[in-house]
Amino acid sequence: MEQEIHACLDQKRYQEAFDRLLPEFQNKVFRLAYAMLGDAGLAEDIAQEVFIRIWKALPGFRGQSALSTWIYAITRNACLTALKKGAGKRESSLEEPNVARAAEEAGVPPARHAEIDVLRFLDQLPERHRQVLRLYYMEERSYEEVARLLEWPMGTVKTYLHRARKELAEAVARSKMERGTA
Amino acid sequence: MVCAEFEERLLEYAELPNGERERVDAHAAQCSSCREFLEALRSVDSQLTAQLAGLEVTPAFARLVRRRVRHEGSAARPSLVPELLDFVGWGAIVTLLGLLAWWLVPLAPVSNTKLAVSFNAQYAAACVFLVAALLIGIRSFADLKH
Repeated sequence: MEQEIHACLDQKRYQEAFDRLLPEFQNKVFRLAYAMLGDAGLAEDIAQEVFIRIWKALPGFRGQSALSTWIYAITRNACLTALKKGAGKRESSLEEPNVARAAEEAGVPPARHAEIDVLRFLDQLPERHRQVLRLYYMEERSYEEVARLLEWPMGTVKTYLHRARKELAEAVARSKMERGTA
Repeated sequence: MVCAEFEERLLEYAELPNGERERVDAHAAQCSSCREFLEALRSVDSQLTAQLAGLEVTPAFARLVRRRVRHEGSAARPSLVPELLDFVGWGAIVTLLGLLAWWLVPLAPVSNTKLAVSFNAQYAAACVFLVAALLIGIRSFADLKH
């Protein structure tokens, strides 16, 4: 697909290139934004901004890096700007209205209340742990994809993931014990 | 508290080869801490997978983006600035290499007047060197921005 988009760009058929890349990258961009911001509504807004930036910058894309690398870099920069502005400070779980809406529309089942809700422990993790964790589960547990999207070394991704999963599992185990003793 | 020697393997349980997994299972059957940790980890994995895997944009997303793109008009013309900076940067690199070559060539003994001229020339060369380094820096920055 990237080759077809490159061919369109070489022939200055920007509209066609954009029409091809939008369905190809919209979910990846959204997931990366959601992983970084933790808010599905905001992630969609940022994803829209990202595609507008891509549209404006397409003629200047010189192919020095892969198209996907370029798009993910724009997404990360947009998210970092949003985080700096404080828009991403409002941490959320999938139970918040906008996230629940996105999850519902995507056919995601709501949390089972009989179980301990893992998502409520997410907020207690450091930001980078949360980002890597969200992306790991969104990208069907692929270390490679997480490393590629965040542009982090594989070792860093694995270390953060191990720490984050360990902390969550310990929190769940503690919570279960407290329930058992209560 | 999870047994330290099993912690890593418990975290990578799903990716363990069969023999290794059986060893972990055998240990977990006897160690309540590791067993509880493994169960909690499975709960974490199953809940987060169920809620996050394959999360997608809302169906209206592409339509909204296309509408905004139509509103924005045609894609911007490519800027000539990066190309210009690229040219300036390469020019600076060539100048720099030329200066280095000039410095490396051994000088023949010269008179006092010629030495003063030579000093002034080297002072000027150092200035050019700094300017060239600055231009290379600008070029690199332009590349990064691009």
